[in-house]
Amino acid sequence: MADLLSTVLVTYAAFTIASWWIDGLDRRWIVVAMGGAAIPDLVKIQILVEESTVENALGLPFDYAPVASVAGVAVAAGIIALCFGKRWRRKAYAVLVAGGGFSLLIDGMRVYADSFAGFYLYPLWVRPPTPNLFVSSDPAVLAVAMFVSAVTFGVDRWIR
Amino acid sequence: MIGLAGLLLGMGVHYGAVEEDHWPYPEADEIAGQPAEHIGEELFLFGTVTAVDADAETATIRVAASPESISITVQSFDRAAQSGGIVQVLGELTDARTVDADRVVVVNDSGGAEWYKYGVSVIGAIVVLIAFFRYWRIDTDSWSFGVRHDG
Repeated sequence: MADLLSTVLVTYAAFTIASWWIDGLDRRWIVVAMGGAAIPDLVKIQILVEESTVENALGLPFDYAPVASVAGVAVAAGIIALCFGKRWRRKAYAVLVAGGGFSLLIDGMRVYADSFAGFYLYPLWVRPPTPNLFVSSDPAVLAVAMFVSAVTFGVDRWIR
Repeated sequence: MIGLAGLLLGMGVHYGAVEEDHWPYPEADEIAGQPAEHIGEELFLFGTVTAVDADAETATIRVAASPESISITVQSFDRAAQSGGIVQVLGELTDARTVDADRVVVVNDSGGAEWYKYGVSVIGAIVVLIAFFRYWRIDTDSWSFGVRHDG
């Protein structure tokens, strides 16, 4: 994954721009999309609890990777959506999945030495081609994300 | 909710069990155990740099494997990286612990770059939480998220 701040800022920009045309996508739902975009970043739990620790505890093979996949986003978004009040749940689920899916799409543009990304379409075992746009710890990614989100913020305040 | 959490855990187990059947290259575990069977094959390794010899264009990387990590010498290492950096190496296994690289990608050029990523990610998590609770609040009657009316 890229750093979470860049992911969140780019998601803010994309969903804010989309909100100029989509009714019902207001600021309180844009922040939900930003939360959805953070779901794939949960793979970073492995820094705190290594996969081998989970494998030993379960006595089974284990990998955090599905959290950063289509299936993982669909299920994790369900868990988070259940935390919303009843009348918001459906929309929360849809927006969380949209944010998480967008985040996977961005992450799928990360550099892989053989130009094919990871299995983020799991449960499909497909490695989509990647344009090799960035590496995950490149500060230039954050600079671009900050610039794009600042311009979007400015335009959004100006036109509303 | 517990059912969904169980499903998420189950996917982690499923993925861990079958991923190597789908990954097109030999896994690091196989190189650790039976390297002789894979000599001449193309590998895609993710490793941490432990030593670099820029003049000789070689580097040594540590690759996570089970039961324990292995040390691989990478030839044709034509990128700038320091010890502690993280690299991807695509290349041919020429002997048990040597890879002749076709392509090296530097993910982090030093150990510090990894900490940069984690530090900035923590800020990202804080930004999400602050942004979220500007527009939403926890309704203490039903213990669920509801819209803030002053937001």
